[in-house]
Amino acid sequence: MRRRASGPFQLQADGSYRINLPPDVRELMNHLFGELRDVLTQADTSDPALRRLFPAAYHDDPERDAEYQDLMRSELVASRLTAISRVTEVIGDGDRLEPGDMDLLLQSLNAVRLLLGTMLDVSEDDETDAEADDPDDPVAAQAHLYSYLGWLLETAVAAAMAAVPDGGNPPKAR
Amino acid sequence: MRDPPCDNALRAIREGTIGRAFTAMESQWYGQNGAVPSTVPSTREEVDLDQNVDTTADSPWVVIVWNDPINLMSYVTLVLRKLFGYSLEKATQLMLDVHHKGRAVVSSGPRERAELDVYRLHEHGLWATMQKDGHGK
Repeated sequence: MRRRASGPFQLQADGSYRINLPPDVRELMNHLFGELRDVLTQADTSDPALRRLFPAAYHDDPERDAEYQDLMRSELVASRLTAISRVTEVIGDGDRLEPGDMDLLLQSLNAVRLLLGTMLDVSEDDETDAEADDPDDPVAAQAHLYSYLGWLLETAVAAAMAAVPDGGNPPKAR
Repeated sequence: MRDPPCDNALRAIREGTIGRAFTAMESQWYGQNGAVPSTVPSTREEVDLDQNVDTTADSPWVVIVWNDPINLMSYVTLVLRKLFGYSLEKATQLMLDVHHKGRAVVSSGPRERAELDVYRLHEHGLWATMQKDGHGK
């Protein structure tokens, strides 16, 4: 990945991040967050296309998993919608991400990428074929987008990783 | 600062390619499911995990993260550091175990604790499940 002094997200001394993104990239991100929100509010979350957003918790116990999903799935949808709403606001016209906002941005970007990767049926050995540049091929266009989102997420991860102390965060009370 | 693929990604958006793809997925869903189900609760439910307490609570549960081809390795490492407070070294090792061995145990404890860990991992898009320690391995 690329390392530049002026990446899209720059960790500041106070722990926040400066957003250095041109308007068209912000527009792209918010468009995708809007798509994700629509999918979360309108699609059936048990649809196979959403399997990576809503995995089973008890993979070897369907009965217990059903109980778990009854309790937690709506919570997970609500949490994702809250995250999307917040990051859409900040990416829309903000120049600064609070540390908590960065976590929501990472979650939301990653969720879009999971959805797109599932659509593209990305497999372990895939190099997404971003060279096949037929403008009329929707799959090629989606592969471009998938690869661009990977780059964007990678830069956000690098910025966020720099904020985690070497020993890791103190574990939350367990 | 512009990464080359962005132009293509933006072009895809402008030309409506992505929108069409999502729309196609949605009509497929609607077709399958008839009416559009509402998945958004009007109020956030209080989740009472106590009602789920396992009667054989002494046996610990393990939380497993599974390999998947989509999540970035750096992202998985970051999430493990943030959620569990692991050092870079420990989180990287777990991520590599996931990548090379197909899965890794990232935490263990009582059932309610494991359920919360699974929930937080799902929130971050990781493919996590839980099971009784020593079972189904």
